[in-house]
Amino acid sequence: MSAVRVLVCFKVTPDFEALREADWAAAATQGVQTRYVRRVLNCFDESALELALGLSDAAARLGVTVELGALSIGGREVDPYLKTLVALGYERAARVAAGADGDIADTDAAGVGVGAAAGAAGVDGAGLDRAASGLDFAPAVVASIIASYVLRADHSDLLVLGCRSGPGDGGTVPFRVAEALGWPCLTRVTSIEPLGDGRLRVGAMVDDGLLRVTLRPPCVLAVGNALVSHLRAPTLKDRLERRERRIDVLAAADLGLDIAAELRREACVPTALETIDRRRRGAVIAGATPRDKARTLFDSYLSDLIETL
Amino acid sequence: MHLSREAIVEGLQRIVGPADVITDRRILVESSVDNFRKLQNIFDVHTMPVPAAIVMARSTEQVAAILRFAGEHTINVIPRTGGTATEGGLESAVPDSIIIDGSAMNRIVDIDAYDMQATCQCGVPLQALEDRVRELGLTTGHSPQSKPVAHMGGLVATRSIGQFSTLYGGIEDMVVGLEAVFPGGIVTRIKNVPRRAAGPDIRHVVIGNEGALCFITEVTVKLFPYFPENNVFLGYTLKDMKTGFEVLRAVMVNGYKPSVARVYDPGDAGLHFSHFAADDDCVLLFMAEGPAGIAKATADGIAAIVAGFAECTRVDSAYIETWFNDLCWGPDKITAEDERIRQTLNVNRTTEISADWSSINDIYQAARARIIAEIPDITMMGGHSSHSYINGTNMYFNYFFNVVGVGPEEETAKYYLPIIGIICEETLKRGGSIVHHHGMGKARAPWVRDEYGSSYYILETLKHAFDPEGIMNKGTIFPL
Ligand SMILES: Cc1cc2nc3c(=O)[nH]c(=O)nc-3n(C[C@H](O)[C@H](O)[C@H](O)COP(=O)(O)OP(=O)(O)OC[C@H]3O[C@@H](n4cnc5c(N)ncnc54)[C@H](O)[C@@H]3O)c2cc1C
Repeated sequence: MSAVRVLVCFKVTPDFEALREADWAAAATQGVQTRYVRRVLNCFDESALELALGLSDAAARLGVTVELGALSIGGREVDPYLKTLVALGYERAARVAAGADGDIADTDAAGVGVGAAAGAAGVDGAGLDRAASGLDFAPAVVASIIASYVLRADHSDLLVLGCRSGPGDGGTVPFRVAEALGWPCLTRVTSIEPLGDGRLRVGAMVDDGLLRVTLRPPCVLAVGNALVSHLRAPTLKDRLERRERRIDVLAAADLGLDIAAELRREACVPTALETIDRRRRGAVIAGATPRDKARTLFDSYLSDLIETL
Repeated sequence: MHLSREAIVEGLQRIVGPADVITDRRILVESSVDNFRKLQNIFDVHTMPVPAAIVMARSTEQVAAILRFAGEHTINVIPRTGGTATEGGLESAVPDSIIIDGSAMNRIVDIDAYDMQATCQCGVPLQALEDRVRELGLTTGHSPQSKPVAHMGGLVATRSIGQFSTLYGGIEDMVVGLEAVFPGGIVTRIKNVPRRAAGPDIRHVVIGNEGALCFITEVTVKLFPYFPENNVFLGYTLKDMKTGFEVLRAVMVNGYKPSVARVYDPGDAGLHFSHFAADDDCVLLFMAEGPAGIAKATADGIAAIVAGFAECTRVDSAYIETWFNDLCWGPDKITAEDERIRQTLNVNRTTEISADWSSINDIYQAARARIIAEIPDITMMGGHSSHSYINGTNMYFNYFFNVVGVGPEEETAKYYLPIIGIICEETLKRGGSIVHHHGMGKARAPWVRDEYGSSYYILETLKHAFDPEGIMNKGTIFPL
């Protein structure tokens, strides 16, 4: 049986948990300043990356080869993640440096290959930042980059990606990529297992429970709230052994795309942000003993509720 | 006479009433370990003796009565407040121990904004005290990462230290007076005075005793004016730790008192700063605080010193400020980390030591190199220096490993203890201290004689004098 060629797409996002209340309060008027907060893997993509590793492990036990690749669109902050994935056994690792103001270059040296067009232009950190945020609300552009990468460069037959990512959180990228590729798309995926005959058994959440389907790639799997939510860690030895492996850095132009033009066509433009007041009413129940407190809790808050049930 | 578990529970119930004696098996089992063997709780595999009961003490008198009871029947007691211990201080080393939990003694007794001191019971979470004094424009100056979850009693019992220590000092510089109960139920109060020379400073018998000598019921700490609006942050990248230590030294010996002065090695920096630092960069950072003039002069002076080190490149201060705002660990982060470990079996551990300026880089380099060479399955081996003094600094080793081929209950034996062993050996060899701020607990107790040398006589005599029956937290500081 021939190998399955898997591509997992992931995004490195600002860690919104690390923002302060005040940062959000300023959001309505000034947008959210995320430049200074630490970066994390988008949580759904982290599940996708680990599920793909699990698929590869399980396939190996069945004697089937799964070739893993990882793709991200973004600035240099993505490279450490790509290096980690390479150390974990991802054989292909690529970053498309693309942005609002045209092709973005990366001048990083060690261990990082630079695509032809990317090498031509030099852009500073601020440019990368603007570029990244320009794509946050541009799902059509992101989807066209991914689809072009699959068709022109990677030729993968199984695409796994998170169902959505911040800050745009629109959740349409997987559908758009599937449409562009003409592949079926399964959403809210929670597990992916090999069957050993080229087919996969995939678990996905549906409104009333868990759906299990058997399918044959090519297809797009959009990972939802999977129980597997953390990426394993490579050992220092793994890192050392694979440190010479190349990370491909491509410009959008390498994929035949004119990002500036695509961005102008993008229908969705963020105009304002509103913070949601999530405060809840609360009361501290006083009482001399736990028994007294439980009595007050029951009399004042629970007994009515129980009656209405 | 040796009491049965049932008799221990009955005895405790007579003292505090049945509602305050916890005998739920599950809670007891979980309480038999702390973060040192946290994998046992994460995977629900337990190997330590199950305590007989947890008793919620609500007053100094109750603590005294419990200690009398434990003394009469030679029952081991384990004092506890916040439960965030990392070194096995809360572990039940022997069967049928009593955990005396002081977390219900959570009253802030007094905040005196004139004499600049606050008194609170042992179970007051530091965050609660800090929030209250902030309303008055004051601060305790104490900010360990565990501030949201650690309590005042435990913080004093472990000689804890906070992120702003370079200005405010460790807890030992903050405690003015306290109340503690010794075996036999002897209640002692050390009065609150600015300083005295009336013999040895007996506060230090209590501070850092880790529950191995007495139970701390109340503490009084200093207060300081709080000027967050004047805070100045400085951040730099550089390529090697040796230079980083040199910069810290230069700042300290030139008389500057930033509240924060840290240098991260590339591994540790990668966990926090990859959005602005390259993966082979060290990160050096400072925070200056206080009245406007002092904060500015401190920051300017430090900037001038660092400018003398050509290898340091300044980064936007907003990176450092933003990072700092999210440094503390509440229950949410602790739970999330436990879940990460459960899924990946990739465990994060830390060990902190201190040494003089001449030795610290050698200890860091030697321990790091040996751990990478000798310990299998390491996924990250790094660290940072975060508390500096005129004569030296600390090194906080931060490391991750995958647990491979053994059950969760064997993680400490296969990985954690051998790593601690290497760090202790390399530190002792060069005259440093094997514990900077987490306490000896049970994890590092085996090295106590080497740590103390001939001065172990003083330490051991304290134990014999104050706890002759050996009922206080067996195995902690003093190995079994
Ligand atoms: C996420 C995290 C971050 C941390 N960050 C820091 C940090 O920045 N700086 C730092 O110094 N530490 C840190 N620690 C370690 C820990 O928080 C400290 O040691 C803290 O002082 C323990 O306080 P506690 O109230 O939780 O004590 P506990 O965990 O309840 O007890 C700790 C030890 O003190 C003894 N003890 C507790 N209460 C009493 C009492 N009333 N009388 C006598 N003995 C008592 C116990 O027997 C035990 O040996 C961290 C821990 C975690 C989990």
